[in-house]
Amino acid sequence: MEHSNPTPKSRASEIPIYEIPGGIHPEEHKTRSNQADIRSLPLADELVINLKGQAGNRSLPVVKAGDTVLKGQVIAECDGIFSAYQHAPTSGEVIAIENRTIAHPSGLDDLCVVLKPDGKDQWCELSPVTHLEDMDREAVLAQIFEKGVVGLGGASFPSHIKLKQHEGIHTLIINAAECEPYITCDDKLLQEHTKDVLLGAEIISKLYQDIDIIIGIEDNKPQAIDAIKQARQELGLSNIKLGVVPTKYPSGGEKQLIQLLTGKEVPHGKLPADLGLVMHNVGTCYAIQQALTEGKPLVERLVTLTGDNCKEPGNYWIPFGTPVEHLIQATNSETPKRLIMGGPMMGYELPSAEVGIVKATNCIIMSADGELGMDQTALPCIRCGACMDACPASLLPQQLYWHAQADEFDKAEEYDLFDCIECGACAYVCPSHIPLVQHYRYAKSTIRNNRVEKIKAEKARERYEARQERLERVKREKAERHRKAAEARKKAAEEAGKKDPKKAAVQAALARVKAKKEAQQSDTNEADQSKADDNNSEGNN
Amino acid sequence: MGLLSSPFAKKTNSVTRMMLWVIGATVPGLLVMIYFFGFGVLINLLIACATALVTEAFVLKLRQRPIVPILWDGSALVTAWLLALALPPLLPWWMTVLGTSFAIIFAKHVYGGLGNNIFNPAMVGYVLLLISFPLEMTTWLPPQSLAENPVGLIEAVSIIFTGAASNEATIDMLKQGVDGYTMATPLDHIKTELAQGYRIPEAETAPIIKGLSGAGWQWVNLAFLAGGLALMFKKVIGWQIPIAVLLGMGLVSLPLFFANSDYYLFPMFHGFAGATMLGAFFIATDPVTASTTPKGRWIFGLGIGAITVLIRTFGGYPDAIAFAVLLMNMAVPMIDYYTKPRTYGHADKKHKAGGGAK
Repeated sequence: MEHSNPTPKSRASEIPIYEIPGGIHPEEHKTRSNQADIRSLPLADELVINLKGQAGNRSLPVVKAGDTVLKGQVIAECDGIFSAYQHAPTSGEVIAIENRTIAHPSGLDDLCVVLKPDGKDQWCELSPVTHLEDMDREAVLAQIFEKGVVGLGGASFPSHIKLKQHEGIHTLIINAAECEPYITCDDKLLQEHTKDVLLGAEIISKLYQDIDIIIGIEDNKPQAIDAIKQARQELGLSNIKLGVVPTKYPSGGEKQLIQLLTGKEVPHGKLPADLGLVMHNVGTCYAIQQALTEGKPLVERLVTLTGDNCKEPGNYWIPFGTPVEHLIQATNSETPKRLIMGGPMMGYELPSAEVGIVKATNCIIMSADGELGMDQTALPCIRCGACMDACPASLLPQQLYWHAQADEFDKAEEYDLFDCIECGACAYVCPSHIPLVQHYRYAKSTIRNNRVEKIKAEKARERYEARQERLERVKREKAERHRKAAEARKKAAEEAGKKDPKKAAVQAALARVKAKKEAQQSDTNEADQSKADDNNSEGNN
Repeated sequence: MGLLSSPFAKKTNSVTRMMLWVIGATVPGLLVMIYFFGFGVLINLLIACATALVTEAFVLKLRQRPIVPILWDGSALVTAWLLALALPPLLPWWMTVLGTSFAIIFAKHVYGGLGNNIFNPAMVGYVLLLISFPLEMTTWLPPQSLAENPVGLIEAVSIIFTGAASNEATIDMLKQGVDGYTMATPLDHIKTELAQGYRIPEAETAPIIKGLSGAGWQWVNLAFLAGGLALMFKKVIGWQIPIAVLLGMGLVSLPLFFANSDYYLFPMFHGFAGATMLGAFFIATDPVTASTTPKGRWIFGLGIGAITVLIRTFGGYPDAIAFAVLLMNMAVPMIDYYTKPRTYGHADKKHKAGGGAK
């Protein structure tokens, strides 16, 4: 990888900041939601907790309809290691475990635990860790695992898996860049819970024998930067450094932030861990701190409620499963024109306002008419290259588009389609209003499907060939058996003929019967076997 | 496809806006041209624009495409506009019509319309006219200050549409300078003089040679430079291609000049003569037909600059922006293919086996 020269960009940064290519400066819209203090909203009448609320496998419910649960009680267990625990976000009664529309652009249903709060919001017994210093690595990871902590930056990757690898990790990067417009939850969390976040980061750092911590933050968050400096001094934490990066979308992308803070690129097909780096989000640090020192499982998160139609914009602690509809009503907001979960650059439009908040939900945008996603007709690409200048991965978006729309997927792959992080910078700048990312998503999913189809076809072909071979073999064996039987018959007849003609006739008859039986038996076996084989191949298809 | 997924935020820019900026930025140059060469320039412009819009609408109808939104993108207008600015001021009207309609139909729509054409339509139209009507296309009026008989609006209209001047003055008289010689462009003048055995210092004594390049022409180029810089600062065009074109001219003309200043022009003269600034800032930067990779933009621009000087110096034509642009247009697919930038996280192309080869 090339190391670009460090260019001191901001005086506030405590480490050298490197350049990243491309990037855009969309309107921030952050002041709307970062003025008010963090608040809470009244509980919803019903919480719809999506059991597929993390990356990996769907959690397995351990409660049934009619059960009463306390806040923080486990309601669903992990399905294998690549999954997460789910806890009751409040006390109340489980009224159903059924399929509901989940927070996904497709509008698909999935299994949800539906909880009716009793209004008491009563915690179950919590088991905070008393001697954190004495705990070994495994015990800390177990606690993080059992408290259902997943990455809160957006991907909801189970944290215990990410923290597992510890060989050769030398730096922990805390992602506080929050480069998406509108979203301010990490900023506010850093301002109001600074110490908890820093202590959470320290817990992670201890898992790797006190490695250095860099907090990567955009220079548009001066209050959070000051808060970090002050808290760091008060807590006497000397291993935390601030990496203040210029405000530019998408500086908060994992790969981009690594490049900004270290000048290194994560090699294609590798992970940050291969560079000795591990990155966690601000919210995740807070959740880990809460899980250990308070013993609190992850049952709520800070969510930015914003948009032109949101009448009380700000950051709120929202219990998981709270329907978005409730958030609209509780903030006296108008019915949004477009309802976006996440930011305007990488979020997705919700299929319905009934879906519940999940662990990945950092923002809900209740947009007004014309605020977001003006449906402009796409004009032809004029190859102006504005997209190329905006691409943080140094791709040629115009070429990717050209090949994707022509279904020339091999060419698109040649232009490194799969290195596209779908940040949307290209589509943002496109003067022809082409929804470029949409074309890339289409191309990527088609290529993935084709790969799966290819493997399937390959397997089917192998199966078919194996079957043909076996049928051949059986046929050969059968012919062989018939031949042998005939020979035996002939031999027996000959032998009998030598001794006694009468006995010989009987012998010959017996031999004929025997041969016939044998032949019949082998026929039936064969029939059975080919029938079983047919069933098998059907099942596989 | 409609908007189905992120991003939902959108920069407020559009192709139409870009095209209108391009047109707007040519206005200083246009005004200077009218000042020096009379109303013929403006009449050419109107004829070309009308032809382009009518042709575009007609072809869109034939191709069963939506007419209004595509007409509105402004690209046909820009083609006509740039072509008209390159035409001599008293060109017969039907030549302008022919060049413009050829540009729209054959250089643009035959390839599939906006975004799909390989060659710069305006330059295709220009070259068609230049090789079909070399005399008319190289006959420029003297700048008004040097003209014996300056051309007024009525004369310009009359000559363009009927081929005859309104008063007793003949066209040949209008084309004469104060010294009685037929006026050519400064580049043309130098070329003719050199062919007649004169040296450049002798050729430069003519009244038409003045200042940076020639009377009138230096101001035309300065005005297009100003408009071009505005486009650059408004980020309507990238800065790489115009700079590369001028650099390419310098890189070829400077060594020649130092080798023998009797036969080779000073780089500054090249820079401010003929269609240099119009070409560098407005024509070479046509997004559709230019290279679109970071390195490719430089190669594309340098090539245009170098070829222009080479043809002006050693070729048969006094100016060569159009030929240079078309030649480099032809090379764009190859340039783009071999100048793919290194993707994030990938090794250098050099180390990648078969990175460029196919």
